[in-house]
Formats: sequence, C-alpha cells, structure tokens
Amino acid sequence: MKYVIIGNSVAGINAATAIRQNDTQGEILIISDEQTRPYSRPLLPNWVIGEVSFSEERMFYRRNDFFDKNNIQTLLGQTVEKVDTKQKTVILSNKENINYDKLIIASGANAIMPKNITGIDLDGVYTLTNIKGAKKLKEDLVKINSIVIVGAGLIGTKMAYDLSKIGKKVVLVELAKRVLFPALDDYAAVLIQEQLKLSGVDIILNDSVVELDGDKTVSQVTLSSGKKILCDACLLSVGVAPNVAFVDQNIKLDRGIVVDDYLKACDDCYAAGDVASIYDIVVNVRRPIPILPLAAREGYIAGLNASGHEVKFGGGFAMNSIEIGKVGFISMGLIESDTDEVLEYKKDDKYRKFIIRDNKLIGVILVNNVEKAGMFNWMIEKKFDVSWIKDTFLNNDFGWKYFDKAFRVLRLDRKLQR
Amino acid sequence: MKLVKINEDNCVYCHLCEVACKTEHSVSKDIIKAVKKENVLSRCTVEFNYPYSASIMCRHCDDAPCIFACQNGSMHRDERGYVVVNTQTCVGCWMCIMVCPYGVIKQGKNDDWGLSIKCDLCPDRSIPACVEACPNEALTFEEL
Repeated sequence: MKYVIIGNSVAGINAATAIRQNDTQGEILIISDEQTRPYSRPLLPNWVIGEVSFSEERMFYRRNDFFDKNNIQTLLGQTVEKVDTKQKTVILSNKENINYDKLIIASGANAIMPKNITGIDLDGVYTLTNIKGAKKLKEDLVKINSIVIVGAGLIGTKMAYDLSKIGKKVVLVELAKRVLFPALDDYAAVLIQEQLKLSGVDIILNDSVVELDGDKTVSQVTLSSGKKILCDACLLSVGVAPNVAFVDQNIKLDRGIVVDDYLKACDDCYAAGDVASIYDIVVNVRRPIPILPLAAREGYIAGLNASGHEVKFGGGFAMNSIEIGKVGFISMGLIESDTDEVLEYKKDDKYRKFIIRDNKLIGVILVNNVEKAGMFNWMIEKKFDVSWIKDTFLNNDFGWKYFDKAFRVLRLDRKLQR
Repeated sequence: MKLVKINEDNCVYCHLCEVACKTEHSVSKDIIKAVKKENVLSRCTVEFNYPYSASIMCRHCDDAPCIFACQNGSMHRDERGYVVVNTQTCVGCWMCIMVCPYGVIKQGKNDDWGLSIKCDLCPDRSIPACVEACPNEALTFEEL
C-alpha cells in the first residue's frame, strides 16, 4: 500500500501518524513545497521579532526523529501541479509522476491577496502564513520603521502588538467595527484594543485599504475613506484561502475541498486541515475552519480512514486562544446573538459570556479566567443539555462541583468517553 | 492503565494532595519551600461545595484533545502512556486549556514563556504523591 500525503504540516503529520499506527508496512510519502522540517505556524510572529529561533526545539511541530522513527519518506521543495484521481497519480511541477493507492490532501491555506487593492505587487508587501512570507518580513525588518497591517484577525493583531513592542510604528486597519471580529464581541474586543493602544498601535476601524503607492517599494497606503498613511511596509492579513489549485474535477470544491463525514473527497482520496470544507456544528454549514486543533484531528481521522478504519468526523466549530498584553481570552463557537439566550458577567477586564440555544451551549467568550474553557468546549461539541447547570456558568469558580453527582462520577471515572 | 481514581465521598477537604503534589513538583522537594517560596502550582485541585469535595486532576484521555490542539508537540504521550507536557518547548498558547474536557490544565510560567501545568502522574514514583498523601483513600491508584 502506498500512501501519499500532500502537505507537511499539522494535518499531514497527524495523517501520517495515524496511518503508521494502523499499517506498519505501507509506504508513506509526504510531499511539500516547503523545505523545512514541520514548524509551529502560530509562532511565526514571535520568530519574526526574534523571540524564538529555528535553533530551538519549540519552533518545530515534531521532534527531529519523527520521520525516521515512523518510517515516513519526504519529498520536500516540490510543488504539486496536478492530482489525477482517476489514474491515482500526483503530478509534480517538474513533471514527475507519483502513483498512490491512497491520497491525503493536507495542503493547507495561504494568505489571501486582495484583488481590489492596487499596487499589491510592490516591494515591501508581506504576508505571514508560512515561513517564506515570514522570512521576507524578518529579513527586511531592520529597514522597516513604520508598517500598515491590513486585517485585524489573529495574525494581524498578534503581529501588530509584537511589532509595536519592538519599537515599530504600527497602524492596524480593519474593515469591521472591531478587532478580531469573528472571535470576539464588542466588549471583549475593546479590552484587546486598549492593550494594542497602550503598546502604541494606531487602530483604524470601519475602513479598508484600496491602494498602495510607492516607487518600487510601498511608501504610502490609501484607505477607502480617502485617508493616506505614510509607511515603509505593508502586511496583508485579511484571511486565508485553501490551496486547491491542483485538484481535478472528481474533487468538489466549495471554498475548500468538499468531504463527507469520513473526510473522503473522492475514491481513495481524503482531505484534512485548512484545505477541507467541513461541517460547522454551531453554524450548521460546511466551510473551512482553518484552526490548528481541528487540522490535527482531521488529519488523524483521515489517516485512520485511509488505512482501513471507518471513523466518523463529527464536525467542528471555530475556537481561538490569544493573549495580547495583559488580556488573554478563549472564545468558541458563536460570539454574539440577538435571538438566543445570552448570559454575561462583566467587570473591568473580567468577562464571561455564554450563548445558549434550545438549552444547548453554542458560544463562549472567557476573558482572563480561561482555565475551565475546555469544559464548555466539551458541552458545545456534545450538544450537552445545559438547562440544569447554566445558572452556574457565570461563577468565576465554575467547575465539577456544580455538576450532578452521578454524572460527575461517571465522567471522572472515564465511564463516559470524553 | 492505572489512574488516580477520585472517590469524592471519602474526601474531607484537607488539601494534603495539593501539598504533596506541590512538594513532588518542586525543585527543593521541601514542603515549606515548595509551598511558600517556589510557589509551585498544584496539579490537582480540591473543589468544595458542601457536602461535596474532591480533588480533580488530569484523566489522561485515550483520545486526548490537548495533544491534538498543541501547536508544537509539547503536549505528548510519554512511554508510560500518560499525557505530559515538555516543559522545555511549551509556549503557553493555552490551546490545550481551550479543549481540555476536564478543565484540569493550569497556566504557569517558564522564563519568558507561559507553561501549561498538569498532572504527569509522578514519573519518578510508583504511586503518585497525591494518592500517597491522601489520609482517607479519597484518591486511589488503580485501573480505571
């Protein structure tokens, strides 16, 4: 049996791990256009400002012996040009053909380059979803004094804070009315915005970039409001789009690769991670949810299924954990609603918010008291009936003590699987 | 696989498990220093809500969500099969906390980085410190 995996990051690595657990003999080949050993993408902003380096083990996703220990072959620095799911072949850009018995597409997603911004091809325009983009920014960092960051998502916000911390002048431009729009509501976003402002970040909301100007290198950014900002660099962080350019017509696309409940895209072909369009159990739609915990689980399940198991992937939902300055938060699922039951506790920088629909928890925001977050995550995932316990959610000491005894004992004795 | 079984009916809220845990995970291995100087975080937490009390710690899930959520492999399964954190590589992103179904991971520090603190089932002992310290068999070490 020959397994080919496209992508050498979280989903691909977990797929290979699962396959090797099931099939000790089969040949596993991971193809990636990146040359590096798999690394931790969330650490790229820290790497750019020099807080961590590739000489440190924490920069990497797996220990150095991972590939040898699991007998996994790699083909690095090669771009996949086409996948032929009928002939069961992967065609590389150097025209080499690689046959497979089972294929797992875990090619991830890359930064969106907004087409409606003119001048995007100028020097001094950066993205930060992979090592190539991050490296360019890191190398040029010494000559950058002021930077405009477009898009206040997780990458944009974290990078804005980090660059400001090392003394760069940062302007953060966001189209929505607040930073971290899909992850936080107004109250929590203001807490983050205060931290950003304290560190010197200039935040512009409800506005977008329409034009980049400069002689070879970007030197001025024009916003749709007409405002002009002088700068010597621009970071685009308006979101990511799945890497799907190489798929054939047997693979259906709907933003990402459409998969069934077993993460199968078509016969003998699976997709996992940021590239896959999966079922969002909170919003009830299929869409890519490009977050690391889901990529790992999807990769693992795709690997199990490719190697003979039939494990269902129950779907996922958005969740995020981030710290900006003194404010740390975890949010999951839906973060605001006018039509559902909303429980809130607000006091300065302490904030707890829960959204409940039909007695099921569908959204949570926790600020600065996050250690029990996973218990709520479990309730969302299991569609747990919270009618009898929701009154305790706003307590800062929420824990097992508020559960019904019989249920608590069963859970803690591991008699109820997770 | 042996785990710490939580027998809540036997717990009398004495916190000795926490003291033993802090001491075991301290540098000095001295009770006073561990609790008052080193400020070690206890891996188990005693909860109280009369008449209930119990000491809660990692359940070492077979299908551990924290391992999947970890951004750099710090959260992993050791050779004994227990879920442990590599303290040298953890960066404190709290994604393990975000997904832990038991809520048993704490936020610690390690130099410039955050550090996830959780039960490691005392790798240097045959019986975990909390179990040994419990005067009332509210914690026992057995197959679950």
